[in-house]
Amino acid sequence: MRRHSGDVLIAVVVVVLMGVMPYFYSNELLLFNFITFLALAQGLNIIYGFTGYLPFGYVGFYGAGAYGFALAVMHLHVPALIAMLLGGVAALVLAVVLLPLLRLSGAYFAIASLAAAQAVYEVIANPALEDVTKGPYGVSLQDVFAPRLSYFVALAILAGTLALVIWLRNSRFGLSLRAIREDQVSAAMAGVSVVRGRTIAWLLSALVAGLVGSVFAWHISVFYPDTAFDLGVSIFATVFLLFGGATTLTGPLLGVIILYGVYNAIGITVPQYFQFIYGTLIVLLVLFLPNGLVSLLTSRGIRVP
Amino acid sequence: MKLRWILSGLIALPFLFSLHARAQNAPSEIKIGTLYASSGPFASISMPVYDAFKLWIDETNASGGVFVKPYNKKIPIKLISYDDQSNTATAATLYNQLITQDHVDLLVADSGSVLTSVAVPIAREHKMFLFDVSGTGGTFFTKDNPYIALMADPVSTIWPHYISDFLDDEGVKAGFKTVAILYATNDFTGTQANALKGFFEKDGKLKIVYYQGVPTSTSNYTVLINNIASLNPDAVLELGYVGNDIAFLRNLQDSGNKFRFVFSIYAGTEMDEIQKNVGVSAMTDIFSYVPASNYDYKPEVGMDRQQFKAAWDKKYPSGVAFGANAIYGYMTGLVIQQTLATAEGMSQMDIHNAVFGLSGKLKTLDGTFELNAEGAQIGEITPLGQLQPNGKGGLNLVAVYPPDRANGKATLGQ
Amino acid sequence: MLAGAIVAGVMFGLYFTLVGLGLNLVFGVMRIVNIAHGDFLMLGGFATWWLFTAFGLHPLESAILVLIVFVVAGLPIYYLLIPRLLQARDAEMLSLILFFGLSQMIEAVATIVFGTTERSLPGRMLGVGPVIIAGARMPKPWVFSAAVSAAAVLLVYLYLYRTRLGTLTRAVMVNREEALATGIDIHFVSAVAFGISIALAGIAGVFAPFMLGSITPGIGVGINITAFAVIVVGTLGNPLGTVLGGIIYGVSLMLMQTYLSSWANLLPNLLLIAVLLIRPQGLLGRQVRRA
Repeated sequence: MRRHSGDVLIAVVVVVLMGVMPYFYSNELLLFNFITFLALAQGLNIIYGFTGYLPFGYVGFYGAGAYGFALAVMHLHVPALIAMLLGGVAALVLAVVLLPLLRLSGAYFAIASLAAAQAVYEVIANPALEDVTKGPYGVSLQDVFAPRLSYFVALAILAGTLALVIWLRNSRFGLSLRAIREDQVSAAMAGVSVVRGRTIAWLLSALVAGLVGSVFAWHISVFYPDTAFDLGVSIFATVFLLFGGATTLTGPLLGVIILYGVYNAIGITVPQYFQFIYGTLIVLLVLFLPNGLVSLLTSRGIRVP
Repeated sequence: MKLRWILSGLIALPFLFSLHARAQNAPSEIKIGTLYASSGPFASISMPVYDAFKLWIDETNASGGVFVKPYNKKIPIKLISYDDQSNTATAATLYNQLITQDHVDLLVADSGSVLTSVAVPIAREHKMFLFDVSGTGGTFFTKDNPYIALMADPVSTIWPHYISDFLDDEGVKAGFKTVAILYATNDFTGTQANALKGFFEKDGKLKIVYYQGVPTSTSNYTVLINNIASLNPDAVLELGYVGNDIAFLRNLQDSGNKFRFVFSIYAGTEMDEIQKNVGVSAMTDIFSYVPASNYDYKPEVGMDRQQFKAAWDKKYPSGVAFGANAIYGYMTGLVIQQTLATAEGMSQMDIHNAVFGLSGKLKTLDGTFELNAEGAQIGEITPLGQLQPNGKGGLNLVAVYPPDRANGKATLGQ
Repeated sequence: MLAGAIVAGVMFGLYFTLVGLGLNLVFGVMRIVNIAHGDFLMLGGFATWWLFTAFGLHPLESAILVLIVFVVAGLPIYYLLIPRLLQARDAEMLSLILFFGLSQMIEAVATIVFGTTERSLPGRMLGVGPVIIAGARMPKPWVFSAAVSAAAVLLVYLYLYRTRLGTLTRAVMVNREEALATGIDIHFVSAVAFGISIALAGIAGVFAPFMLGSITPGIGVGINITAFAVIVVGTLGNPLGTVLGGIIYGVSLMLMQTYLSSWANLLPNLLLIAVLLIRPQGLLGRQVRRA
């Protein structure tokens, strides 16, 4: 229990903080976006930090969740919470369909997942499917609009995701995943089921993105397909994760808080340079600090939660 | 007699005091919040709106401020604006910031349907009236949301009707029988294509032989043009964004195909931009909308087109394109001006009533401002125009339909 | 309609052969996916636009200038970024992320310098009036770009199979460690290959305003996926394969535009995924890349 305590403490602090912030800082949409990225960075952490696969098309699951939610509300007329679960299911279905991609390695996987996310977007945004998804004309879900409730549901999803990452960091399963990442062959020889491990990580990661996408759709209630499948979401989540440091709990949290915080601060004063700044940041990071900010400590053997 | 005077004076006194008191309670400035996109795909439609709006604010403040009826005095305007970089999530956060942190008195949306879309539920939730500049998405305007009105663009479901009216009228007289519609699949152009299809089918005078949607990122139209040509339509309507129009007009010229009537949205509405990329010869005889930046309406409020252009050139000598969007920005300023001058109070519902009260009565350099019950703009419809050679190697955008707005005649090809 | 679509498809496809050629070369030699490839293309396009508007330079002249400048610039970029990277454990993923960062930087600078409005070049620079092939009207610029593309393929082929440096490059492509062991300066060979690769991207960029109507700083992203699809279909490491890949892409795109126009953009994505899953070594697969 002692080993867990640092992790759990941090997770609890973050969740509680995001829970009370709306009472002090009224731009609650900004806080909601923070929660979104905190969760997405962790979701990406599950797949990249623990299996070494980086899906450039991570936003595909986010969008699938958003549209799953929207379709459930528009066509099945279910209450919002059920629609949220259905959104998660939609992302899982997509993940299962894309399972064969896991056969590909590194760069191929990354780009193929990007192509997959684009393909899903093209299908949903097509006017031929207008009756189902409203095609390019956008979705409007006024009836279920509930900003307060959806904020707290998002917080719950974040809490769940953090718990999941803590479990992965401290469990045998998580250890086996990291073994697969280090050396697939040896892991297999030690009795770890490589395929099963990867599949589970992939599905969990997709589920997180799907639920986040669903709650986003719920919270914002009016969106176009471009918004739900915006590559910027994947890009930000990836940058935040890499900056902070994958495989740890605090890495992604730090990455989001620092970089997204800076983005919103500068964003209001000198926005067009932000792309250049984070582009340079990534290049420098890869060259000098490839394991992220936390590697400053972990490379010295200090265990970071 | 004297008593009566004293009595009426006594009765008048409280009113005088309350007027004075109201003037005392008047804020020192009216805060208007808006967003703009300095980068990204929507920058080219957003920056002209923003610059024009700033022009209106500067001119208004130079004369002491805007007249606010509830306080019966002129109050200077303070503009609070943020850059959303064409990103909808950022825009949503920033709209929220304007309302919840900056406590603006009036909220103006960014340009275009996409960046306006995220503001609609936020404005509604906070019960803040949204001055929608050019977001024409049909779903924004519903019976149960009073907190929105469209300022400048006509709503996409009725905007193109002069095209079908012209073709059904003069086109049929010239022997037209068939029409081809090629559109980009997004909210703005897709809705217009849909509307046109409906108009043609209802009128029944022309047959639609080709009706296809292509992705908005389509950048080559050669095969599409070839396919359309093989069906031999009299009229070809291409509805897309600037990039689509550029590619289409170039490929059309390259292919050497000639149609009797060709329409493209931005050939007229962003004439300079298109001309730079496509050249005069590719644009000759093309039909388009005539935006208020190329047409002289007689305004009852605010500057007319010539005066506004002069003020614009003086303030922005080098640079941002003067086109329809600049007009929209200034228009929005004029609506706000009239709203504040006629509002009974400063609550958001008072604002709503004042804005809707202007419907049908406000005539500006953009035409007649007219709203339907849900807040969609049904006035300010652009006439149909044609780009005709001006004899000096350039082009004139000549309005050709409807007859009461025309200042020239259309030339239809053979 | 069908014949026209096919002819147009072949010519349009050859343009994408040019786009994919550089990407193929760099991947074959260094096993690195240059995800900034589309952005180098964009730079070539903007350079051409700028040279034309500022100095009145003809695009074909700009193409030569771009070729020289990009090859020369490629060398220091390579040496600055790559050798360090190749020592890391997860080189492939890291290089992907590195070039991604680079692409964001290039895009940001281009946006700041040129703005986001569409830019183009007058069509008459490469000839006006259609060329009629098999009853289909093709724009003259398409003929030019197809010709340049074919020439580029030929030159790359000659480079790889007839020059000494090219032979060394092929050695590195087959097995990097062995090449190193035989004393080949793999970094120099790779640097030259990188330079050539971005030069090819730049030249493709020269024709972009003609093939794609207009260019903006953001066109890189979409082009990357298409380029990747083209080279994967046609087998990595084999320039002739890229020709095949380009043609297949072009023809299927034009057929889609004719019969299923609103789904046209789905094509490169599906093509890429399908090939990677079904036949990862590509159509001419001999150089087996374990995908």
